[in-house]
Amino acid sequence: MKGLFKSKPRTPAETVRLTRELLIYADINSNSREAKREEKMSELSKLIRELKSILYGSSEAEPVSEACSQLTQEFFRENTLRLLIICLPKLNLEARKDATQVVANLQRQQVHSKLIASDYLEANKDLMDILVSGYENTDLALHYGAMLRECIRHQCIARYVLESDHMKKFFDYIQLPNFDIASDASATFKELLTRHKSTVAEFLSKNYEWFFAEYNSKLLQSQNYITKRQAVKLLGDMLLDRANSAVMMRYVSSKDNLVILMTLLKDRSKNIQMEAFHVFKLFAANQNKPADVVCILAANKEKLIRFFRDFTVEKGRKTFFFGSFSVKDEQFEADKAQVVKEITVLEDRT
Amino acid sequence: MEKKKYPIGAESYKLYEEIGQGVSASVYRALCVPFNEVVAIKIIDFERDNCDLSNICREAQTLILVDNPNVLNAHCSFVSDHNLWVVMPFMSGGSCLHILKAANPDGFGEVVIATILREVLKGLEYVHHHGHIHRDVKAGNILIDARGAVKLGDFGVSACLFDSGNRQRNRNTFVGTPCWMAPEVMEQLHGYDFKADIWSFGITALELAHGHAPFSKYPPMKVLLMTLQNAPPGLDYERDKKFSKSFKQMVATCLVKDPSKRPSAHKLLKHSFFKQARSNEYIARALLEGLPTLGDRIKALKKKEEDMLAQKKMPDGKMEEISQVEAWDVTDGAKSKGRKKKKKKFAESEGVEVDKEEEIGCWDNSVL
Repeated sequence: MKGLFKSKPRTPAETVRLTRELLIYADINSNSREAKREEKMSELSKLIRELKSILYGSSEAEPVSEACSQLTQEFFRENTLRLLIICLPKLNLEARKDATQVVANLQRQQVHSKLIASDYLEANKDLMDILVSGYENTDLALHYGAMLRECIRHQCIARYVLESDHMKKFFDYIQLPNFDIASDASATFKELLTRHKSTVAEFLSKNYEWFFAEYNSKLLQSQNYITKRQAVKLLGDMLLDRANSAVMMRYVSSKDNLVILMTLLKDRSKNIQMEAFHVFKLFAANQNKPADVVCILAANKEKLIRFFRDFTVEKGRKTFFFGSFSVKDEQFEADKAQVVKEITVLEDRT
Repeated sequence: MEKKKYPIGAESYKLYEEIGQGVSASVYRALCVPFNEVVAIKIIDFERDNCDLSNICREAQTLILVDNPNVLNAHCSFVSDHNLWVVMPFMSGGSCLHILKAANPDGFGEVVIATILREVLKGLEYVHHHGHIHRDVKAGNILIDARGAVKLGDFGVSACLFDSGNRQRNRNTFVGTPCWMAPEVMEQLHGYDFKADIWSFGITALELAHGHAPFSKYPPMKVLLMTLQNAPPGLDYERDKKFSKSFKQMVATCLVKDPSKRPSAHKLLKHSFFKQARSNEYIARALLEGLPTLGDRIKALKKKEEDMLAQKKMPDGKMEEISQVEAWDVTDGAKSKGRKKKKKKFAESEGVEVDKEEEIGCWDNSVL
């Protein structure tokens, strides 16, 4: 009996259409503060929440794939994503969070085994400009940041961001004083520089000069502990990636880079020292060391060997990590022995 | 609509006494100088904490984006030297565990419990709605402010099931505090989901009713075995006669071993037990009046713990005073190191011979 009095439930496509209508309304009527507008905005929040529960399910029900695919198709049939991004500042915090999760999820929805989000974004790349500049607004940064990170899962979109002028801005975003925003920017930066191997390799070789100049001066030599620590870690990840071997060879053939890494090796943070070691070892292992690199290593031979003698993984750390850590420790000791061996044979020509 | 902007930078805050301590973080009462407002600041040492940095980053973001009266949020966070400062509202009543220890060692009355638990459940509903599992629901993480508002705190070990765009079936890490841990979390066979928090919620109900969690007098290893092998604990002791039938039923629906048979937070809120719940003011009157300040209570507790450890004596039911300090997270080597010593002491005091190190090693391998 109860069912008779209930209105027929909306289909996912209808929910998307209603959402779109209200977004258009919100977009146009930005300044009127009348009661009618409030009502529509609250309706909009409810619809976005409904979209989210279709895509993610709830604590009681799993999502239904047919509903998800209907929703996705309708969503990208028109400009809903653009509207949602533009209207985000007008939504309240809860609706912003829901919208962010909806956008994130849509990037992974396949319809007829195709990621239609990718096609849409390819044709609307300028949306990335809005998302990136979100880092300049404290109230939007985490939402736009999370959306951006999902969008760059598509290789063509990651390439667009890498090749844009936005890349330069990340060096500042990473050092923003708000930790939550800065770390979000770092996460995006890392994703851009590690996810799509061939695109990253191409970007790094084309932009080597300015990119590493910025990287060295702004990040590796930052006054901010966390910036420095994450930057050395990411540098190691990038250089150790097989796809970037040409870039790695170029990097470890520079005396100036070596000096920076040797300074980091003596940082007062043990974690930074450890990450720096994983980059430093590449300089030592290089079989075609340029003369000036040899010169510096040879001049510091005694000091380096003494340093590495006392340079160990803190004992307390391993106790519990049976599996992975002891293997890591062995690897570390082997690397260290190799580095010491390489340095020992160098002749001091000064 | 825009949030009040708290100043970014250590120079804007004046630290007072320590009000909480974990292995890699401490919490202080502090003054936000420009606002002349008392806040709590959690200081996490990046150098000491060797767990994944991305966990800390995610926690900081989660806390900033929380907007619910029953979940503790963060005002802002920033890096100062090699520490992360997370600025949060100051909950002057401290945790329910603090209040139990200080003034109600045998537990609270039913109306107080119903009121606290209803608020916690509203918080959990919110947390679950956003795809998070709290993973450490217990009296020690239920915080009370000066006006009797109840908030679920310490998202330190929370996990997100909706992580980056995908609903994940379930989590597979061993996190939580043994006494409050759901059987499926201990087993690590099929992973677990939101329902693990409902089990912990049921254990917390017993904790508030008795003054301590069931099995709390046993060493952690034994707790694991008892939780897996024994029938679920409940309100069925002689001293529980004072509690209503609906309270007993509510606890029983949470403490079902099969997670799929436990209600969701949303559903549980409709249970008749919560009809007797009252207002925040009631909590303030019933629990906070006449209590010493939080700082003094914590000092007294610390003193008591130290004395007991010094004597190597752990009277019944006092175990959680120490075990509540930190969540048990075997993915973190540093933490476990600190705990091992204490556990040894527990074992000695209980006369139970268990080779902890070896067994813990086994779990760890299965996690990795």
